[in-house]
Amino acid sequence: MYYLIMCRSLTHAQRVANGLERAGIPARILRTPAAIAPSGCSHSVRIPGQSLSRTLTTLNRLRLPHLGIYVGGAEGYREVEA
Amino acid sequence: MIYLDSAATTFQKPPAVVRAMNEAMASMTSPGRGEYGPSARASKTLLALREEAADLFHVGDPERVVLTTSATHGLNIAIRTLVRPGCTVLLTGWEHNAVTRPLAAIPEVRLRTIRAPIFRPDRFLEELDRELDREVDVMICTHVSNVFGYLLPVKEIADRCRQREIPLIVDAAQSAGLLPVDLEGWGAAFVAMPGHKGLYGPQGTGLLLCGTTGDPILAGGTGSESRRQEMPDFLPDRLEAGTHNVPGAAGLLAGLRFVRRKTPKELLRHEIRLKNLAADGLARLPGVQVFHSQSHQSGVLSFRIPGKDPGQVGDWLSQRGVALRTGLHCAPAAHESAGTLETGTLRVSFSAFNTPKEVERFLGILARLP
Repeated sequence: MYYLIMCRSLTHAQRVANGLERAGIPARILRTPAAIAPSGCSHSVRIPGQSLSRTLTTLNRLRLPHLGIYVGGAEGYREVEA
Repeated sequence: MIYLDSAATTFQKPPAVVRAMNEAMASMTSPGRGEYGPSARASKTLLALREEAADLFHVGDPERVVLTTSATHGLNIAIRTLVRPGCTVLLTGWEHNAVTRPLAAIPEVRLRTIRAPIFRPDRFLEELDRELDREVDVMICTHVSNVFGYLLPVKEIADRCRQREIPLIVDAAQSAGLLPVDLEGWGAAFVAMPGHKGLYGPQGTGLLLCGTTGDPILAGGTGSESRRQEMPDFLPDRLEAGTHNVPGAAGLLAGLRFVRRKTPKELLRHEIRLKNLAADGLARLPGVQVFHSQSHQSGVLSFRIPGKDPGQVGDWLSQRGVALRTGLHCAPAAHESAGTLETGTLRVSFSAFNTPKEVERFLGILARLP
């Protein structure tokens, strides 16, 4: 299981990923899967399943907003309350 | 060649700038095209540039650093965003055509200009207070005159605009890399700057620091929200349609790092030292009129030789290996303010790579002018 943090732009995704990496959370930028990107191309940051709580704390501290958090698995993607 | 035209373009660049551009050409494509190496390297370079600029120019959020092709490009965005037909715009009187021509293209804009003598910021502020008591929709401030090096009191101007809630656009074409540029401290709506002057980047690069979101003057692909036909409403994408100049951004990043290593304060001190040397030498030449101030001038110096056409003197100097700028410098408004509109001036300007010896050689050559 993993989470996707949806970002408004590539630049924003880079800032999110860099901020998380600096906090010791593995983070990788990827294209948002089409199924959860209704407006077309966007970028998300993928984090491991066990890192959500620390991720939210870190993003809050860095004042980096996001457009939504999705949990990814074999059945696709589901938005999670954060 | 003795190159004294850095107010137009810094010609000698730090070797790191050239290396960075070569490396970008050889190893980078465009940001956001995929997670493959060349695209990811381009993405990293652009973010590093935004972060470096945000730090140096006090932009809280690097996403508010927009990459442009020039200061002119940035000023066009800023002006098109804030100035509507019928608006009243207040100018300092020292503006470049990069400001006045975009304004002239908007119908029914009322322009008012501060009238105060050159190198008298005290008088300028008195006039500014009077002008701001009348209706003003937008203020545009040249930070440093590209013709005379006159340092406008930008902080005081910004304070007054902020108190009256008048949006401020700052043209930092001649100040970026030399003087404090402080988007957040000034509370400016926009600050525009080129990459190829005091930031030692390549031509065709620039930055627009955005205190507000801004309206695009160019629409197209951004790699985001592709199904929508409107431009994204977030920065930097909203103002960056089309493929980025990645080698240019890499060069500009290296230039910015050079500036930060040397420090703007030291770079300015060096340029002012050379300017003072040139001013003293020019003043000793018979009949030469020098526009010089010890306290309110950057490293840009204009002068005139009565009875001589500046263009012809410039050509004569060029044939003897001296590169400087003559004429109106694309700033007739500044010449009108200084009373030099009919003749124009000769202008010398410096960079980190000029030396006192070069200034002395220039003065020696000019002394032989027939």
